[in-house]
Amino acid sequence: MNEPHAPPPAAPAITVTSPLRWLALGWKDLRANPVPGLLHGFAAALFGVTLMWLADGHFWWLAGAFSGLVLVAPVVLVGLLLVSRQAQLGQRAGMGAVFTLWRAADPRLVLFGILLALAGTAWVLLSAGLLAFWAPQPIGTLHDFWAHVVLAPSDWLFVGWIMVGALLAAPVFASSVVTLPLLLDTEQPLPVAVAHSWRVVAQYPVLMVLWALLIALMVGLGLLTGMLGLIVVLPWLGHASWHAYVDLKRAGTFGLPGSWGGVQ
Amino acid sequence: MPGTVFGFTEAQIASFGLTVGLGGFILFMLFIVFNLARESKAGKFGTFVLLLVLSFGMLGFLAKSVIKWFVE
Repeated sequence: MNEPHAPPPAAPAITVTSPLRWLALGWKDLRANPVPGLLHGFAAALFGVTLMWLADGHFWWLAGAFSGLVLVAPVVLVGLLLVSRQAQLGQRAGMGAVFTLWRAADPRLVLFGILLALAGTAWVLLSAGLLAFWAPQPIGTLHDFWAHVVLAPSDWLFVGWIMVGALLAAPVFASSVVTLPLLLDTEQPLPVAVAHSWRVVAQYPVLMVLWALLIALMVGLGLLTGMLGLIVVLPWLGHASWHAYVDLKRAGTFGLPGSWGGVQ
Repeated sequence: MPGTVFGFTEAQIASFGLTVGLGGFILFMLFIVFNLARESKAGKFGTFVLLLVLSFGMLGFLAKSVIKWFVE
């Protein structure tokens, strides 16, 4: 990417309220250029509804596909990172630019998408095993899961299931929190981008837990609205994650503030 | 209504108290884990994992309570 010559702007302080700032900036991007974001959101919601319809009665297929969707979503939303990036550079990017990015099939992005999909598969296998051991009855359909896990009289099955999920999600989240914007913004190889992502999590553990909770809460609400909420939530988070990267970069988290990458 | 306090039955109050009490207890546990992680120098990534797992457990507990409340 181009090496800009302008001095870097003042770095905003990274605090526990930073995720709200990222969401506010992401919302601004979505409102300024809504078409690419809403198209992404609509496609994801349509995919979700189609899955519910196709996999009706096959809970584990559904769970697998949804986990895959949530974990691979960052890669699918990479076009929105581009839209936010271009907006920050004073340019307006539409779906044409997003398609060009997809057609380029950057091997780093493709490899990262495959790794995230593998992590999703591992979670579904582990999850199926856990529920086979813990649940009072076999879980075969979405209704079984709802009745015997979510609405079970005891809280611990559902809470335990979520906690094991969080344990598995921790390294995935740590590997991906700034990886995609970093890959988009720089020529860094995938392992270096992932290492930077882990460094962010190690430097700001409380902040990153809050960011993960906000993401989970928003996606959860989107799912509970029968996917409708995802039309807005997914692109909003996509744009916001670009601003998370930029703030962290400006704060010098990656060790080389302002010395590389396209956006200062 | 006889046998109620401010229109709530004993069972409703007990259930409310249990939910709030457990929620508060989980918050307290979160604080303890955060302190333990800090004092034992568990490492920043260890702190991240501990906090993430416990706070997701708390979120799951709250979500389940809210969903059950809506369904019932």
